[in-house]
Amino acid sequence: MTAPFDTLAGWLQEHALLPLLYALGLMQWEDISFGWALFAVYGAAQVVLTFAICMPLEHWRPVERWPDARAVTVDILYTFFSRVGLLPLVTFVLFYQAQVALNGFLADQGWVPPTLERLFPFLLGRPVLTFCLYVVILDFSDYWRHRLSHVFGWWYALHALHHAQRQMTFWSDDRNHLLDEIIAFAWFTAVALLIGIPPMQFPLLVLLLRLLESLSHANVRLSFGWIGERLLVSPRFHRAHHGTTASGRQSVNYGAILPWWDMLFRTADFSPTYVPTGDPTAEEALATGSYAAQQWAGLRRMLRIRGAPLNDVTLRTQVGTPEGGGRYNLKQV
Amino acid sequence: MARPWLVSVLCAALLAASYVPARAAGAVLVMNSNEATLSVIDLATHRELRRIPVLREPHHWALTPDGHDLLVADTGANELLLLDPSSFELRRRVPVADPYQLGFSPDGKVLVVNGLARGQVDVYEAGSYRLLKRFPLKSMPSHLAYTPDSSTVFVSLQGTDRLAAIDLRRMEVLWTAEVGKNPAGVLWLNGRVLVANMGSDDVAVVNPADGRVERRIHTGKGAHQLFLSPDGKLLYVNNRLDVNSVTVLDPASLNLLRTYRLPGGPDDIAFAPDGKLWFTLRFVNKVAVLDPASGQYDIIGVGRSPHGIFLNPRAAVPAAVASR
Repeated sequence: MTAPFDTLAGWLQEHALLPLLYALGLMQWEDISFGWALFAVYGAAQVVLTFAICMPLEHWRPVERWPDARAVTVDILYTFFSRVGLLPLVTFVLFYQAQVALNGFLADQGWVPPTLERLFPFLLGRPVLTFCLYVVILDFSDYWRHRLSHVFGWWYALHALHHAQRQMTFWSDDRNHLLDEIIAFAWFTAVALLIGIPPMQFPLLVLLLRLLESLSHANVRLSFGWIGERLLVSPRFHRAHHGTTASGRQSVNYGAILPWWDMLFRTADFSPTYVPTGDPTAEEALATGSYAAQQWAGLRRMLRIRGAPLNDVTLRTQVGTPEGGGRYNLKQV
Repeated sequence: MARPWLVSVLCAALLAASYVPARAAGAVLVMNSNEATLSVIDLATHRELRRIPVLREPHHWALTPDGHDLLVADTGANELLLLDPSSFELRRRVPVADPYQLGFSPDGKVLVVNGLARGQVDVYEAGSYRLLKRFPLKSMPSHLAYTPDSSTVFVSLQGTDRLAAIDLRRMEVLWTAEVGKNPAGVLWLNGRVLVANMGSDDVAVVNPADGRVERRIHTGKGAHQLFLSPDGKLLYVNNRLDVNSVTVLDPASLNLLRTYRLPGGPDDIAFAPDGKLWFTLRFVNKVAVLDPASGQYDIIGVGRSPHGIFLNPRAAVPAAVASR
C-alpha cells in the first residue's frame, strides 16, 4: 500500500536529491537522504489528501461563510511550511540525531534502549497494533502538553496565535508560533525517545493521523455521532476547543486524536453546537496579520507577560455560556 | 457406520500431500533499511518468501568466522541480530551502539563496527562481543577493509573526505589521510587500499603505509561500493549517479573491462553460484539479478531502501567468510 509513496520518494532521491547533494559536495548524507525524500513525499501527500477531503466537506456543510477569507491565506502558508518545508526536515533530522545519541549512549552502558516491542515482544511483526499503542501514548502526552500551554501565561501568549483565527479551516491545524512548535517538538522528542518510537517506520499511519488533525479544524458541520465522538476527535469536538469563550485557561477538548483524555480528566465538552472561533483577547495582528506579523506579535506578547500567571494578565475575560447557547463544561485547570 | 481404517488412510494421504520437503536450493536475505524488515528470497525461483520484522533499521551483515551466526546490524535499534544463516531464525540479540557497517578480521579475532551516525569505530572481541576499544573518528565512519594479516583496518570517513588506518595490535590510529570527496567503499587489493569516492567519480588507489593516493581510476559519478568476484578475476564498482552504472575493472591492471547500466541505485552485491550477481537497488526498493554475460537482469520487489544482501546457496552453512 505504501509502494507508490516509496517509489516516488526513491525517484525524488535518485533524480533530485542525490544530484543536488553531489553538486553541493554533500554526498556524505546520501544514505540518510532517502528518509528526507520519504518525509517530503508524505508531507506533500498529507497536504494533497487533506485538501481533497476537507475542501469538499467545507463547501458542502460549512459552519460559517465569510465574504472575505483572506485571513485563511496565511494558514495555507503555515501548512506548507510545517508539512513539506524546512521545519519537518529540521525536526526529522534533529530527532534522528537525538535518538542516535541517546540510544547509542544507553547501548554503551549495556542497556538496550527501550522500545514498546521489547517490552511486549508479541508486537514485533504487528506494525498496525504497535503504531496504535504509540499513538495512544503520544496522544496522552500531547494532551498534557496542550493543556499546560493553556495554563502558563507566557506559553498561552504563544499558543494564542493558534486560537486567534476567527476563520478556522482545515488549514489552521499548523498555524502555530515557531517557539510553540519548538516546545511541542521537544516534548514529543522526550516522550518518543523514552518509548523508542522510530522516526519513519509507520509513514502511512502518520499520514492518516495528520489528516484527522486537519479535519478536526475544518469549517464543517460534522460530528461522528454519540459513539464516534467518544472514539475520535471530530470537527465539532475540536471546534469547542477553539470557541471564543473557550480560549486561555477556560478551554475544553484538548485532545488531538483521542477524546479519551478529556473524558478521563473531565475537560470534555460533547454539547452538539458549533461555536464561533477565535480569541477575543488576542490582538488583531495575531488574527489577521501576515506570517511575520503574527510571529512577532506572539513573541511580544510572550515577553510582556512572561512569568505572570494566566489569570493576572487578563488573557481572557469571558467565562460562561458560549454564543449559540451551547453548554460548556468549563473546568479550571 | 464409520470406517476407521478409511479415515486413517485419508488422513495419511492428506498428510503426505501436504508434506513438502525442504529444498536446499538456497535463499537470499535482504536488509530493508528503511522498513525494519528482512526479505527472504528463494534463490531458485526469485520469489520473496517472507519478510522478517526487526526493530528499526537493518543495514549490513557479517558472518562469524566459523559460519555459525549471521550478524545483521540493526542500526536504529542499536543491536546486532544473531541469526541462523540457513533458516534466518533469530538466535540472540547483542546490544551494540549504532552498528552500521561491520566485519570480522581475517584471523577471526575481532569484529570492527562502524557507527556512522555517532562518529565512532568500535573494536569488539569476536565471540564475546566485548568492546575492546572505541575510536571516536570524525566524521561518519562508513566502510571498512582489513589487511590480510589482520594487523590493520582501514575505515572511510565519509564526512571528512579521509581514510583512517587503525593498528589493531596496538589499538591506535596509525594515520588519517585525505583520499577524495566523501569516501565510501573500501577494499584491500594486491597490497593497496582501494577507496570509492562517492562525492566524485573515481576510485583512489591508496598506499597503506601512509595514506598517499597513488592513482585515481575514473568509473562513474557517485562511485560507492567495491566488490571482488569470488574467483578474484573481476572487480565491480557501483556508481550511484550519472547513469546508475556498474563498472567492471580488471583487478590486476585496474583497466576498464565493461560497464553495466543498472538504474535504481545499485548498492551491495551478492554472488550466486550460477555466476549471477544480486544487487540491492536502494532507490526503487528492488533487487536486481544480473546475468553478467548478457547484461540482462531480473527484478524482484523487496522492502523500502534495501541495503545489505546475504546469499546462502545451501541449507548448510557456507564456508566462505565475508562481510558486506
